[in-house]
Amino acid sequence: QPAAAGAVASAPAAVAAPEPKPDDTNAQRAKSQPGNNAPFWRAVRESGQQQGYTSLPGAEKGTLIQSFVQYPGSRLTTAGEAWRQVRNQWIIPYGGSLLLIAVLALAIFYKTKGPLGGHHADTGRKIERFTPFERAAHWANAGAFVALAVSGIVMAFGKFFLLPVIGSTLFGWLTFLLKNVHNFVGPLFAVSLLIVIVTFIKDNIANSADFVWLKRAGGMLGGGGEVPSHRFNAGEKGMFWWGVTVPGIVIVASGLVLDKLVPGFGELRGEMQIAHMVHAVAAMVMMTALIGHIYMGTIGVKGALGAMKTGWVDEGWAKEHHELWYDDVKAGKIPAQRSGQPAPGGVASPVARA
Amino acid sequence: MLLTRRSTATGPNTSGLVNSLARGVARAVPTMDRRAFLRRSGMGVGAGIAASQLTLVKKVQAADSKAAADGGKKVEVKRTVCGHCSVGCAIDAVVENGVWVRQEPVFDSPINLGAHCAKGAAVRENGHGEYRLKSPMKLVDGKYKKISWDEALNEISQKMLALRKESGPDSVYVVGSSKHNNEQAYLLRKWMTLWGSNNCDHQARICHSTTVAGVANTWGYGAMTNSYNDMQNAKAALYIGSNAAEAHPVSMLHVLHAKETGCKMIVVDPRFTRTAAKADQYVRLRSGTDIAFLFGVMYHVFKNGWEDKKYVEDRVYGMDKVRDEVLAKWTPDKVQEVCGVDEATCLQVAKTMAENRPSTIVWCMGQTQHTIGNAMVRASCLLQLALGNIGKSGGGANIFRGHDNVQGATDVGPNPDSLPGYYGLAEGSFKHFAKAWGVDFEWIKKQYAPGMMSKSGITVSRWIDGVMEKNELIDQDSNIRGMFFWGHAPNSQTRGLEMKKAMDKLDLLVVVDPFPSATAAMAAMPGQGGNANRAVYLLPATTQFETSGSCTASNRSIQWREKVIDPLWESRTDHMIMYQLAQKLGFDKELVKNYKMVKGKGGMDEPETESILREINKCVWTIGYTGQSPERLKAHMRNMNVFDVKTLRAKGGIDKETGYKLDGDFFGLPWPCYGTPELKHPGSPNLYDTSKHVMDGGGNFRANFGVEREGVSLLAGDGSHSAGADLTMGYPEFDHLLLKKLGWWDELSEDEKKAAEGKNWKTDSSGGIIRVAMKNHGCHPFGNAKARAVVWNFPDPIPQHREPLYSNRADLVEKYPTHDDKKAFWRLPTLYKTVQEKNKDIGKTYPLVMTSGRLVEFEGGGEETRSNPWLAELQQDMFVELNPKAANDRGIRNGDYVWVKTPPMQAVPEFKGIKVKALVTERVGADTVFLPFHFSGRWGGVDLLPYYPEGAHPVVRGESVNVATTYGYDSVTMMQETKTTVCQIEKATA
Amino acid sequence: MARMKFICDSERCIECNGCVTACKAEHDVPWGVNRRRVVTLNDGQPGEKSISVACMHCSDAPCMAVCPVDCFYRTDEGVVLHDKDVCIGCGYCSYACPFGAPQFPSNGTFGLRGKMDKCTFCAGGPEANGSAAEFEKYGRNRLAEGKLPACAEMCSTKALLGGDGDVVADIFRTRVLTRNKGSEVWGWGTAYGKPTGGATPAPAKPETSKS
Ligand SMILES: Nc1nc2c(c(=O)[nH]1)N[C@H]1C(S)=C(S)[C@@H](COP(=O)(O)OP(=O)(O)OC[C@H]3O[C@@H](n4cnc5c(=O)[nH]c(N)nc54)[C@H](O)[C@@H]3O)O[C@H]1N2
Ligand SMILES: Nc1nc2c(c(=O)[nH]1)N[C@H]1C(S)=C(S)[C@@H](COP(=O)(O)OP(=O)(O)OC[C@H]3O[C@@H](n4cnc5c(=O)[nH]c(N)nc54)[C@H](O)[C@@H]3O)O[C@H]1N2
Ligand code: HEM
Ligand code: HEM
Ligand code: SF4
Ligand code: SF4
Ligand code: SF4
Ligand code: SF4
Ligand code: SF4
Ligand SMILES: [Mo]
Repeated sequence: QPAAAGAVASAPAAVAAPEPKPDDTNAQRAKSQPGNNAPFWRAVRESGQQQGYTSLPGAEKGTLIQSFVQYPGSRLTTAGEAWRQVRNQWIIPYGGSLLLIAVLALAIFYKTKGPLGGHHADTGRKIERFTPFERAAHWANAGAFVALAVSGIVMAFGKFFLLPVIGSTLFGWLTFLLKNVHNFVGPLFAVSLLIVIVTFIKDNIANSADFVWLKRAGGMLGGGGEVPSHRFNAGEKGMFWWGVTVPGIVIVASGLVLDKLVPGFGELRGEMQIAHMVHAVAAMVMMTALIGHIYMGTIGVKGALGAMKTGWVDEGWAKEHHELWYDDVKAGKIPAQRSGQPAPGGVASPVARA
Repeated sequence: MLLTRRSTATGPNTSGLVNSLARGVARAVPTMDRRAFLRRSGMGVGAGIAASQLTLVKKVQAADSKAAADGGKKVEVKRTVCGHCSVGCAIDAVVENGVWVRQEPVFDSPINLGAHCAKGAAVRENGHGEYRLKSPMKLVDGKYKKISWDEALNEISQKMLALRKESGPDSVYVVGSSKHNNEQAYLLRKWMTLWGSNNCDHQARICHSTTVAGVANTWGYGAMTNSYNDMQNAKAALYIGSNAAEAHPVSMLHVLHAKETGCKMIVVDPRFTRTAAKADQYVRLRSGTDIAFLFGVMYHVFKNGWEDKKYVEDRVYGMDKVRDEVLAKWTPDKVQEVCGVDEATCLQVAKTMAENRPSTIVWCMGQTQHTIGNAMVRASCLLQLALGNIGKSGGGANIFRGHDNVQGATDVGPNPDSLPGYYGLAEGSFKHFAKAWGVDFEWIKKQYAPGMMSKSGITVSRWIDGVMEKNELIDQDSNIRGMFFWGHAPNSQTRGLEMKKAMDKLDLLVVVDPFPSATAAMAAMPGQGGNANRAVYLLPATTQFETSGSCTASNRSIQWREKVIDPLWESRTDHMIMYQLAQKLGFDKELVKNYKMVKGKGGMDEPETESILREINKCVWTIGYTGQSPERLKAHMRNMNVFDVKTLRAKGGIDKETGYKLDGDFFGLPWPCYGTPELKHPGSPNLYDTSKHVMDGGGNFRANFGVEREGVSLLAGDGSHSAGADLTMGYPEFDHLLLKKLGWWDELSEDEKKAAEGKNWKTDSSGGIIRVAMKNHGCHPFGNAKARAVVWNFPDPIPQHREPLYSNRADLVEKYPTHDDKKAFWRLPTLYKTVQEKNKDIGKTYPLVMTSGRLVEFEGGGEETRSNPWLAELQQDMFVELNPKAANDRGIRNGDYVWVKTPPMQAVPEFKGIKVKALVTERVGADTVFLPFHFSGRWGGVDLLPYYPEGAHPVVRGESVNVATTYGYDSVTMMQETKTTVCQIEKATA
Repeated sequence: MARMKFICDSERCIECNGCVTACKAEHDVPWGVNRRRVVTLNDGQPGEKSISVACMHCSDAPCMAVCPVDCFYRTDEGVVLHDKDVCIGCGYCSYACPFGAPQFPSNGTFGLRGKMDKCTFCAGGPEANGSAAEFEKYGRNRLAEGKLPACAEMCSTKALLGGDGDVVADIFRTRVLTRNKGSEVWGWGTAYGKPTGGATPAPAKPETSKS
């Protein structure tokens, strides 16, 4: 009997330890290489993709450590750290510089060239450039944008230029306020942007005149004064497409995600990081573009502001800046007055009357 | 600010953009005070909680301002013990002006060294009790109405007296509690005796009753032999049917330490548990087949001659019979067929246990809660006896008990088959207590219905049958008509669907509990054709933090809890309620005769807990509850630092307050702590340990089953006596005759002689016999005998595997059938074969094995812990663990809702099943599912919230698994079968 | 100055959530905010291990670097704390934190999260030590009372060690030596800058904080 027992007793010992394999589960590894938990620590690393168990409800509660990623401009590291690198090493410094450079360039431009236009004398005859609806849409949009830009800038850069000046209590309070402004105005901006795009898209479709305009950079090159354009010149169209519509849509989309208003998005930190980077880059682009636009719309071009303020422009202004449009109006292809609003000074265009 | 305030309105949580915008705007106010912070947390289920924490803050503030008026804060630290499990972790409660504001770890506690699991670290919530019952209530027209204490006590007592008159004292049933401290548990048994019935029980019945019976019948006492701390000395530990990491988390502190110094850990469980995760070897077995596995292991032990032959020879009776049976019947093929574990695995377990001695075994509910629980636990004992591990430090049977004081309540509390200290229901026992209580025995006898005094009562597991069973079939006059749930949940007993019917049929239902809500909701929930005159009362009891008293941890150490705070709301202590009801029922004088009365809640009288303990000290000799005077216990609590963590023994130490010398005491004077306090027995850290002198806590197996059986001596072999004993052979228990025979009688004083004349060591009220035997002669008062491998008075003297009543293995039912039906078993007819045969093919409709058990965050029926937001947050949904394969076959994905259906639901067609979430996990095998049993408050997919007393509902509610559990009771103790039954699972659509 | 660190010994952690509720109770942390949580990997399979995670008080803390209002600060003991009066609840810290430590009382629709809350290493906040204001915003300041984090002090198995980096590393090293395995230190590489990732035999000597 002892002999038989001995044979049985040696049975488990005879089972040789299996060879360790790189893709062992932790259980297998515990047998093949006791004490080596590498598969477990790999699982820890991968808990961003392959969640662990935790009874707490909520997204990513089972993630021990964020997944490793490499965002454009970052090292391969945990997503949070990668995002931090993109934001702190690229978006903030370069975005900030971009904005500063834009402002600086315009200041120099203004210093050297001064405001454009004013070469044609006023005729006293007015053309309706923007209907009240168009103006309302524009200003709502503009207002929202400014609010967003200011609040966004404070969020992104405030700690460099405001915090040292006003101290953290006040700065925190202010930023908290602005952040809320930003988060609530954002959705409003989304709506107004859509209206602006729909309203102005027709006149921003490129045509042959735009190529001429572009070739001569709107008249800055080659002399000969401003290049004739339709209702909006190629520069404005460019701004419409590349400074407003495209980044606007991107910003709105990413912003809505950041605001957790898009169902199915915004629960995961990875989504938020990407949304943020997209948002911030587009915001920098758009702000830069719109700094230009705002410059042109205010002090850059004489009379331009009036157009958006009152809706009317003088025929002289129209001829100087948008000659082809002026011609169409004159030719009756476009009515000089499209809305029922009274013209300033009650002087309606004779053409329109005709 | 207006906006902010508006947002606090706790209206219905309509979602939607508009609403979130509105809420959003309101929140955008840039201030952040504490309240806003709390309020803002109000999401989802937590909606009500922020508000509750608010009042909490207010309370503290209120107390602060009061203190300011009094000129300063009063900060006190009260030492108490966690009220959840039997580990017995000490807690320092910081009380500021009567408000429990903080909880600090007690690093000095040798038991827990400051450590806590989730429940222990969150007990402070009990001191706030936002979801507690705040005043007495009565069910009126389906709704709970507040009433005064006077009304409640008057009406309840009148009803009771009326029931008594009509149907006798046995028509009232009282379920007591393992949550009561020793004094309250003892007082409740006394209360029941003076009322005149044995119809009382508590959680131990459905917890470790099979252990207590099985183990006590094997070697003497039905308790954990060693301690959590002693497990540090183990070289191997076999956990079978225990998930200690969740159920006794702080015990893992000691075991993991042992493991780090080389202890091999084996876990045998149908599930891969958190405990299994820490094991060196995990063995998956089919639920309900532990005997096959254990005998499969013993097969290799015997085959290889690994048993401790000398030990078995000297100290065990009948092991040869077991050996023959095991070798013949439990060959590896049979073992594998029954439990699914192969030969190599069994061999390895045997080898580990044999080669790493002392090796210990741990079991818990995985073994006890079966129709064959009594046999399973004995199979575990047999393995340990064969290996010679019992009575050794590092070995032993480490039976992890349940509730914080289930050990104490079992020892001295409301059991239907014994008086405190396991004194049987013989007249002699009643006389012993009548004398100790100062009450006339004849008077007590008159209180009982004729002939019922010595008849074991109905068990808590069967109270529903006591109500529903045909009157002619039950072994007492009347059916049960009045029920007390005095610190016990309803959803912890099986057959919930039938329980609802029983509850509706009662004349009187009284719930005495800080959190009575599960019973309350179930009682208020509409039923069909119930008793129109039913009266339901809820009485707010205090928790253990609002009173003082002692509680017995699993290792038999007794700890004294100081009162932390005054009773909250209108709650009263359990012993005050017992006393006040006794006043109305007319036995108050008898109840409190020996006690000092002190002022409790509202300046009303209640018995002093210390004096109740002193009464216990004076009469519970059997298990050595006599040496633990309040003074000694309190000295231990104050000087925890002097006790060694590994041995639990004090090294020096003098209590500053009393001058008591602690040196040599074991922490908490683990019972048996024999003799009077003056004898200074140090307590017994490891039972039956012959390597120590009896006055050092040593011992041997008990002589409790006679001296001889079929010509074989039952007394221990020569030389196997406790160290230093004058009697070096086996000897019977001590009584006046033996003392005289040995010529030691004259060592008694004159007074002692008077008390001891005609008595044995258990009934000698002077403790003299014990003193002489132990102190003068190093002998054990309960004798020195062999452990019994064969328990001849049990249905299966040698443990037999028998399939559960509901088994999905018809083939094995054939081979391993259950017992025959029983008549008048604990007063009730009890079915075995009838049920099993009827359901032989049940596996075709219900193919999955259903088992149940614990989550670390919740405790018991769970009302208390699910009302604690810190815990409730961690487990917000009732679920079923389902193997990916089983889930895939049913088109179920993780997180889906599913219906769990079981056989009893066939009788109730409108009941679709219990609706729970699927947790798809490898923890269980493809044929088994597991459900936690801590939930209640949902019923067949419906939330019972409307039926709760207002404000007293748990934060998290879920379906109770015990609504789905089936019939089945242990053949010795009436333990309910909660660990092995069958079910089917379907995906819940919409 | 001691440099405070956490070690969670995955060979010991039993997922009992004691640390979680200890934190909740000590600081009255509201529902939904989880300063600490326990995650189990390989759940239900051999090789299963659990880790308790909270703020690691990183040496070069990403949260701190991205905060738009610079409300984080580091104590002399290397504990990373923040000022709730200044916090705007933008959530950036939670995007940046590798461990998912920052928590918010609200869900963040319209960016409304409420003030960020996270593990303070039981060191309170900028208010006066032990003041009511500090307690209400940040919970208890145990460090100021000369105590260590509640979660670590109450850990059921002493898996979670929190305190002076040198001391906890030492305790851990001894433990590793006796049991001869399980030497990996959860998260130290990421949090404190020394590579551990998974395979170093003993805990890296804790570096002292730079700031
Ligand atoms: N957190 C928490 N702790 C508690 C309690 C609580 O409610 N919550 N309650 C306390 C009480 S009252 C008690 S009694 C203890 C109970 O403590 P335990 O008994 O350890 O807990 P359970 O989860 O009921 O069951 C233990 C294991 O038995 C397994 N099991 C099921 N069937 C079988 C079987 O046939 N054979 C074997 N070998 N195993 C099986 C289950 O899968 C489960 O993992 O816990 C105490 N501690
Ligand atoms: N399916 C299934 N069922 C089971 C089990 C299982 O594993 N599976 N386990 C069984 C086991 S082991 C047990 S022990 C039981 C546990 O189940 P129960 O013990 O019935 O459940 P608890 O919720 O712990 O009940 C204790 C009650 O006492 C109250 N209480 C607390 N302190 C006090 C006090 O000081 N005074 C008074 N009067 N009341 C107080 C609590 O509020 C609570 O309502 O469940 C059993 N049921
Ligand atoms: C078009 C104008 C917008 C600009 C210029 C802009 C700019 C910015 C900037 C600069 C930041 C800060 C980035 C940083 O600190 O790193 C930011 C953040 C953010 N933006 Fe915008 N944004 C614009 C529109 C929107 C819109 C339309 C939405 C939403 C619908 C939105 C939602 C957000 C959110 C949610 C954040 C995160 C910051 C926080 O929650 O505190 N933004 N934006
Ligand atoms: C405060 C800042 C702004 C000022 C002062 C301003 C001013 C002007 C003015 C004067 C015009 C008329 C130019 C013309 O008559 O050709 C104009 C046109 C326009 N603006 Fe603005 N603007 C501002 C902001 C914005 C913003 C934020 C947007 C969009 C995001 C925007 C979109 C447009 C568009 C789409 C047109 C029509 C021209 C085109 O479609 O090419 N503007 N703006
Ligand atoms: S529940 Fe048990 S292990 Fe947990 S703290 Fe309480 S006594 Fe200790
Ligand atoms: S763990 Fe997260 S929150 Fe904590 S210091 Fe590191 S980055 Fe910051
Ligand atoms: S949520 Fe608060 S702490 Fe976090 S980055 Fe934003 S402002 Fe800073
Ligand atoms: S250190 Fe303090 S605050 Fe941090 S998780 Fe632990 S208990 Fe909570
Ligand atoms: S208390 Fe300790 S063992 Fe329990 S979950 Fe936390 S770290 Fe793990
Ligand atoms: Mo139990």
